[in-house]
Amino acid sequence: MALVLLPLLFNGQFILFMATQALVMMLVAIGLNLLTGYAGQVSIGHGALVGLGAYTTALLMKDLQWSFWLSALAGIFVACGTGLIMALPALRLSTWYFALVTLTFAQVVTDLLVEWRSLTHGFSGVVGIPAPSLNGHILSPVQVYLTLVVCVVLVFLATRQLVNSRFGRGMVAARDNPLAASASGVSLWRIKLLAFAMSAGIAGLAGAFYAVQKTVITPEDFSTDFSIFFLLCIVVGGQGKLLGPVVGTLAFFLLPELLGPLQSWRLLIYGVLLLILMLFAPQGLMGLPFFKRWQKRVIVDVDIQFDSAISLKPVKNLDLTIKDLHKHFDGVKALQGCSLFVKAGRIHALIGPNGSGKTTTLNAISGFIRPDSGQVMIGTTDVSSLSPYQVAQHGVGRTFQTPKLLGDMSVLDNVRLGGFMNEHATAFEVVLNLPRVRSDDLASKVQALELLKFVGLSSRAEELAGELPHGQQRLVEIARALAGRPALLLLDEPAAGLSMSELDRLAELIEAISKHGTAVLIVEHHLGLIARISQSVTVFDRGQVLAEGSVKEVFKNPEVARAYMGREGTGDSM
Amino acid sequence: MYSAKELETSDTLMFFDILVSGLTAGSLYCLVAVSFNILYQPTKVFNFAQGDLVMLGSMGSALLLTQWNWPWWVALLAVMVAVGVLTLVEEWMAVAPVLSRHSHGTGWIITTLAVAMIISNVVGKVWGVEPIVVPAPLPLSNDMLNLEGINISSYQIALILLTLALVFGVDWLYHSLWGKAALAVAEDRDAALLRGIDPAAISRWSFAFGGAFAALTGYLASPVLSASTTLGGILLLKGFAAAAIGGLGSTRGALAAGYMLGVAEAACSVWLSPGYHNTVILILVLSVLLVRPGGLVSSLEARTV
Repeated sequence: MALVLLPLLFNGQFILFMATQALVMMLVAIGLNLLTGYAGQVSIGHGALVGLGAYTTALLMKDLQWSFWLSALAGIFVACGTGLIMALPALRLSTWYFALVTLTFAQVVTDLLVEWRSLTHGFSGVVGIPAPSLNGHILSPVQVYLTLVVCVVLVFLATRQLVNSRFGRGMVAARDNPLAASASGVSLWRIKLLAFAMSAGIAGLAGAFYAVQKTVITPEDFSTDFSIFFLLCIVVGGQGKLLGPVVGTLAFFLLPELLGPLQSWRLLIYGVLLLILMLFAPQGLMGLPFFKRWQKRVIVDVDIQFDSAISLKPVKNLDLTIKDLHKHFDGVKALQGCSLFVKAGRIHALIGPNGSGKTTTLNAISGFIRPDSGQVMIGTTDVSSLSPYQVAQHGVGRTFQTPKLLGDMSVLDNVRLGGFMNEHATAFEVVLNLPRVRSDDLASKVQALELLKFVGLSSRAEELAGELPHGQQRLVEIARALAGRPALLLLDEPAAGLSMSELDRLAELIEAISKHGTAVLIVEHHLGLIARISQSVTVFDRGQVLAEGSVKEVFKNPEVARAYMGREGTGDSM
Repeated sequence: MYSAKELETSDTLMFFDILVSGLTAGSLYCLVAVSFNILYQPTKVFNFAQGDLVMLGSMGSALLLTQWNWPWWVALLAVMVAVGVLTLVEEWMAVAPVLSRHSHGTGWIITTLAVAMIISNVVGKVWGVEPIVVPAPLPLSNDMLNLEGINISSYQIALILLTLALVFGVDWLYHSLWGKAALAVAEDRDAALLRGIDPAAISRWSFAFGGAFAALTGYLASPVLSASTTLGGILLLKGFAAAAIGGLGSTRGALAAGYMLGVAEAACSVWLSPGYHNTVILILVLSVLLVRPGGLVSSLEARTV
């Protein structure tokens, strides 16, 4: 608070001007941090979005005499809308494609600002933008500054709300482990769009203030260098940290003062700084040990009195039916007409030698691979052509051969990610912190804690997932998959790398999961585990079903022994 | 005023002008795209500084040729070596450290972008913004020849032909054992290691080669585009567009895409205005990538677990 009012104490036009500039930049940086820091999409075009907001506001105020407030609102919409035209297709591409598209977009905006000179006054720009007024009273620079302060605070709070909600978890997952995100029901495209739309709208708002503060804007103000400034701010401050853009912008603003006589070299120095920071201090200022202590760790109330009504939601009872699946990869026939049936609530194992198509089958079921032909039915719905997040939303949870966790997030938050699709508050509600958001939040936390208790890890809830040993990471991943309350749980070689006692725990866990109503399809090599927990088994060999039936039947089958151990091993040679 | 025949010929003339202009510019965009591909193959890193490396080749050779009057082949060799070494430094400083931290991260976007800023600003400080006009190396020239009514210079013909030769040359190179090693490293670094291929060495050699190729492109570009410090940013965008539309890693795709972009640009200059160049490029890139995310020459399969 004091920091904010500080510039007002110094009775100087210049200080006020600089402070207002700094806050405008900070606004953009907060938005960019959401897109680049949290959702991991580098944008080199936010300068152009600011420009769009600035030009819309300026032209509406100057040429059409609109009030500042309406013009600013229009600026937000224009920046957001135009940005979305670019982002809707571009966010389907990989991250660095997106970065280059934003670069091109920024260039296009500058080009068109010059080209459409009848609208935008071309190179000479818009001059003499009037000051904002309220009820006929023209706002003084101090009042503009204070309005801006209010905006920055509101935007910061809104961002904080979003970041701490399921959307924040979804964005971080989309950035660090897209497969984990998709498997948890997060639509990667939609979550990135959300981050983009918010950051673009915020940039537009900043542009509005930029216009009325500078009173003169030209296309050159919004060049690529301008976009890179914002990147610099968030890199200096710390990407993906709430206070990062705040601290970063302030640091960035002190820079020119420190540079002194080297001013004309500042672009070069920014480049060098960006490089050095990314190499030696990629976590930025907020990543320094000093600042890390400020950041609150998730203090979990493990003694919450669970209302049994809130805890684990019931799962639907659905069968899994696979009919005649075919899949080839450029000559490798991974699946050649496989069929499988898992009754609701039963444990079914899928075994076979390496390369027989087991993981391919799991991928086909969960939507990571599209089969060439055949059907995958969850209950009565054919999910074979759906994308992974859609399959997850139909009640499928899965784990991976190597646990895919978000190492920098707490164990609790990792599990909460799994419950993404079961929370229902929209982003709009989240930002406004409506009641439904708070009940969603509580329910999600309680359920996650219950699940951690279920897998035996409640004591580790607040630790970073990356610090857990391998066996416990597996359990966290299972808890995450369960958080989606799946009708079907796919386990991909969960026993790998587990000790004897961990194996025992795993067996008990899987049996308990099945008792709660979830069907389990487990791909495994550990035949002892299979023998203990499965009610039925399918054996694959080279993309085809070799045998199926109960555990006893299958293990007695000579074909199965031969597939695993070869002719010599079964004493069948010669 | 004009007879039908005269109008018809002037339309055909315009068509050929667009074609010549498009193929020339397209050849250059293709070469920039190929230099991107060379770096990208083993590392999956898209070098944001590549445009400025081409600019260095262009400015460097321009200075050597016009200021110091070096013979053309010495100047060419000098810039190729110099830029190749610089790209090695870039790999060592800006790319390798980031990749070793997160092999699938995107920190290199910002670091290579920073390198681009550094290069363009240093050159800008040292030389300024004046473009340098470079004559075509003898016996070629920039004078327009009138072949059957088509306006084309001997340098343009040479450039288009040379590009074709270079493209097929690079293609052939990648079918050799060394090229296959580079592709293997891209597919699976660890598996390549197990087969005795050193991924780090391949990456470094690729960077050096890509840098030298960029310098060559810059050298070839200067008689046509005239060397200036702003070339870097322009070629980054157009090179990216050509590489992305053609399909990353495909030299023939880069050729097709380069021509497509060059001709689209030339047509745009004639029928709309040069100010719409980037808009046309953006629309082309987005439309092609939406329909075929892997570019024109590709078959992208969904990522498996």
